[in-house]
Amino acid sequence: MASNRKWRGGLLVVSACSLIGFLLLWELVCRAGLVDAVFLPAPSQVLARGIRMWNQHALLDNVLASTRRVMVGFFAAAVVSIPLGIMLGTSRVARAVFDPLLSFLRPLPSMSWIPLSLLWFGITETQKYSIVFMGSFAPALLYVIDATRNIDPIFIRAARNLGANRWQVMFEVILPGCIPQILSGMKVILGLSWTCVISAELVAAQQGLGFMIMNGREFFQTDTVVLGMVLISITVLITDAVFRLIERGVLSWQR
Amino acid sequence: MATMNHPMIRLEGVAKSYGPLQVLREVDLDIAKGEFLVLLGASGCGKSTMLNMISGFEQPTQGRVLVNNKVVKDVEPACGMVFQQYALFPWKTVSENVAFGLKMRGMGKAQRREAARRHIEAVGLKGFEDSYPGKLSGGMKQRVSIARVLANDPDVMLLDEPFAALDAMTRQVLQEQLLSLYEKSGKTIVFITHSIDEALMLSTRMIVMGAKPGRIVQDIRNDLPLPRTAEVQLSPAYLEMKKSIWETVQAEVMKGLEGAA
Repeated sequence: MASNRKWRGGLLVVSACSLIGFLLLWELVCRAGLVDAVFLPAPSQVLARGIRMWNQHALLDNVLASTRRVMVGFFAAAVVSIPLGIMLGTSRVARAVFDPLLSFLRPLPSMSWIPLSLLWFGITETQKYSIVFMGSFAPALLYVIDATRNIDPIFIRAARNLGANRWQVMFEVILPGCIPQILSGMKVILGLSWTCVISAELVAAQQGLGFMIMNGREFFQTDTVVLGMVLISITVLITDAVFRLIERGVLSWQR
Repeated sequence: MATMNHPMIRLEGVAKSYGPLQVLREVDLDIAKGEFLVLLGASGCGKSTMLNMISGFEQPTQGRVLVNNKVVKDVEPACGMVFQQYALFPWKTVSENVAFGLKMRGMGKAQRREAARRHIEAVGLKGFEDSYPGKLSGGMKQRVSIARVLANDPDVMLLDEPFAALDAMTRQVLQEQLLSLYEKSGKTIVFITHSIDEALMLSTRMIVMGAKPGRIVQDIRNDLPLPRTAEVQLSPAYLEMKKSIWETVQAEVMKGLEGAA
């Protein structure tokens, strides 16, 4: 156990060194004048831009705006898709009803909803939420249906044999039984929600990380563009870590 | 004592086919209350199908199954099933698993926890009430599964090769434990195995089954004294029975192999 922890600690150090090495190399390449700063700014320039924007209170607002949009759209998609998915996963009739609609929605990328959503909602927050929702809902639903159908039928047999009725099977067996798979599906969907919000903001927004990148491009501020990209990456990593923490709490029985 | 006049389980002309494939040819069988009946046979002899029809998971193509004088039409908690794969709910603790049937019947939380505690202790797992099944060994899981069925207090316990996945030593311990639970509870037990020794160790009656199609070929009363110690297992009566069953089983297996060729 102890040696295992030591080993993992060692790997962490290796990763940190690799990150620092990469940044140093990038900095040196820029300083040596091997690339033009308009094409690729040095990490120090990106950092300087970040500090300037932080002081102007422009940084956190963009991060929070995007995060909020992701959360609202993602949770709306989860709240609708989980019960609906369990229903569709357990009832063949319900699946037959929804299958044509789902087959139509599934291949549509969230980007394709942007023109209609702008027409319906204007450049508003609702429009951003709707893009995230439309981009996440169909794949989330498919994950849930799949999770429901992957329950080992022996659990259902055991429950019925012990006297559980249809509803009890649903709430005592199917729902808790598919939570692990639903959660791991939702983690993927969360990443998807982020791509949705960034694309929505790239097209039309006055705030957010996607807007920040687009705005940077308009003014040839490549450092702002790169800063936006870095922030997207970091924010997604943080939400992912928070999600993992929640997952571990919910699935304590797996450890 | 009208209840004593009918058998615990009765199969009347029960046959089962899946499409053109007949897996069980007309079976008539009465199982008395308190019997420990072992269904013995090679794979494909329809013994699991028979168990599934008694428990109500499957319906016979012909004939009918009665448990406690009632025709089995749906899954019946009157017949508690112990599966070879344990089928414990991994997201529930040992205690919650054992109390599952009681919860389904609407028993209060404190009461069913107490009942679970008693049954967990009876199978020798005291102290594991709050563990999750993932932490337990195969033998422990199967004991939880047995406790889960006993807590539900069914008339009949059905066990489908419950010890087949366990190592030899664990199997022996569990066999002994099951026998003592049987003696204490007086439940009617139907137990499936393909091990002749296991059948001889546990049963009060053995049904040897043949394959293609599945049917009963031998019905033997096993009145060897309990507990079936090493001494009993070396007695002439034990060896005589084992030889007789082995000859029947061997003939059936050979027939099955010829049929397959």
